[in-house]
Amino acid sequence: MVDSLFPSIENTGDDDASPESSRKKRRISETSKEAETEARRTNEESLKRWRTNRVQQIYSCKLVEALRRVRQRSNDAGKVSGAAREIRETADRVLAASARGTTRWSRAIIATRVRARLKKHRKAKSTGNIKSRKATTETKRIKLPAVERKLKILGRLVPGCRKVSVPNLLDEATDYIAALEMQVRAMEALAEILATAAPRTTLTGP
Amino acid sequence: MDLTGGFGARSGGGGPCREATGLDSLHIGEEFRQLVTLPPENAGSFTALLELPPTQAVELLHFTDTSSSQAAVTGIGGDIAPPPPLHSFGTLTFPSNPVLMERAARFSVIATEQQNGNVSGETTTSSVPSNSSANLDRVKTEPAETESSQRLTSDQAVENQSPSPSQNNRSGKRKEFEKKVKSSTKKNKSSEENEKLPYVHVRARRGQATDSHSLAERARREKINARMKLLQELVPGCDKIQGTALVLDEIINHVQSLQRQVEMLSMRLAAVNPRIDFSLDTILASENGSLMDGSFNGTAMQLAWPHQVIETEQSYHHRQLQPPPPPQPQQWPYDGLNQPAWGREEDQDHGNDHNNLMAVSENLMVGSANLHPNQVKMEL
Repeated sequence: MVDSLFPSIENTGDDDASPESSRKKRRISETSKEAETEARRTNEESLKRWRTNRVQQIYSCKLVEALRRVRQRSNDAGKVSGAAREIRETADRVLAASARGTTRWSRAIIATRVRARLKKHRKAKSTGNIKSRKATTETKRIKLPAVERKLKILGRLVPGCRKVSVPNLLDEATDYIAALEMQVRAMEALAEILATAAPRTTLTGP
Repeated sequence: MDLTGGFGARSGGGGPCREATGLDSLHIGEEFRQLVTLPPENAGSFTALLELPPTQAVELLHFTDTSSSQAAVTGIGGDIAPPPPLHSFGTLTFPSNPVLMERAARFSVIATEQQNGNVSGETTTSSVPSNSSANLDRVKTEPAETESSQRLTSDQAVENQSPSPSQNNRSGKRKEFEKKVKSSTKKNKSSEENEKLPYVHVRARRGQATDSHSLAERARREKINARMKLLQELVPGCDKIQGTALVLDEIINHVQSLQRQVEMLSMRLAAVNPRIDFSLDTILASENGSLMDGSFNGTAMQLAWPHQVIETEQSYHHRQLQPPPPPQPQQWPYDGLNQPAWGREEDQDHGNDHNNLMAVSENLMVGSANLHPNQVKMEL
């Protein structure tokens, strides 16, 4: 029933949006079975976290707020493409804020904005990027095994997770994917509302 | 001179005699004496016992009834009795056999007793049977305890003239034996005993290597595999794929597609954006317009207007805008989300917050809608 909130987006997965799960204790010992149950527990918590009614409402509320402010700011600029980028960054920031700082990627998203602001001041001084790309300096290096290469790519995709250990990277990726899905659903719903509402106002407006 | 010679002879060669006397003083049962005196070809030194091959040590530990233990005892010296089938983990009843416990414990105890006087040995042995409750980890700690106690007593002991090389020999052999005991017991440890120990245990399954490196490696691999499985469930279409690399490919594609979708949607929103302020309030108005029809769909509530903004903007638009009369068609994709259902699913404070929001919005739009104030208050 709660998924009816965002039905315009396809219902990804069969999970029902459940009420927020209670925190469970973690055991110290880890056998093969226990490692799996522990990982499953944390991941199910994170998955359900991004599907609850409350999270969706918090996100859509903050999104609308932020979009208003963006609109006010970009009204002066007047570009559409620039506005798109701003909107995306705003949406990402709102998403990261909804994560409440528990995940690495959310902290990285919030931090990049701060760093971008700092860089703006320093752009006059430094011309190029000093640490642009260290990864491919050694051309004679043998190609890493395929899995590790892909893990690196995944690390680059998830914000702030380039040098994170493999199990943590997988955890972060899980949470990030769940959050992205929620973001897509919310933004699409919002776009739907605005798209359907907008022409009516033009027709019936003053 | 004489004393030293005597001591040297006793500790070095006269194994059985001394052991027998020591055993007698300890009141050990028949079978244990047999066990001790069995390997005659090794000059009856205790170290021969410690050189038991691990299978036999495992046999000792696995025997659950005394009859089979008798067989083991007789089998140690010459014929090796066919090893009993190693039970699966759950059925291992090792702790239930106090005889085996004592025997395993006393392997080390005897050695301590050899080095030190009878007194210290007796104290340790007296402590050992009390410790031998049916607990597997106690077995592990017992050798450690006896070792530590042995070290202590060896420090405290009054000039035991056992020559140091043989002492080291014995302690080294004992450690080896205990390590074998430990490694064999580690294979068959049951899970509840893991939790009693303060440090992390990884269970080694039967037939797998038990050195620390492969154990750690296995734990790490299992962690990673568990997370990969969860990712597979999350990403659609990954269940059927075999192999980590392809699954990772799918995951990467999925993340990239989601990010591209966000970009597209942000462009759409940017295109619509100039009308955002205007539209949102009209939406709210139209929402309440549909409220008139009695079918409340929680669209506006789903967007969850912030409280303060609503108040200012609502009052503004209340004065200026007339809400469009037409009822909302079914293009609103949301079902009628009832207020009670909504309030039910949320936390208390948040639910109240949204209820207040709704109340505010409804109250403000009362003038423009045909909604009765009474009706509004009832829904509160």
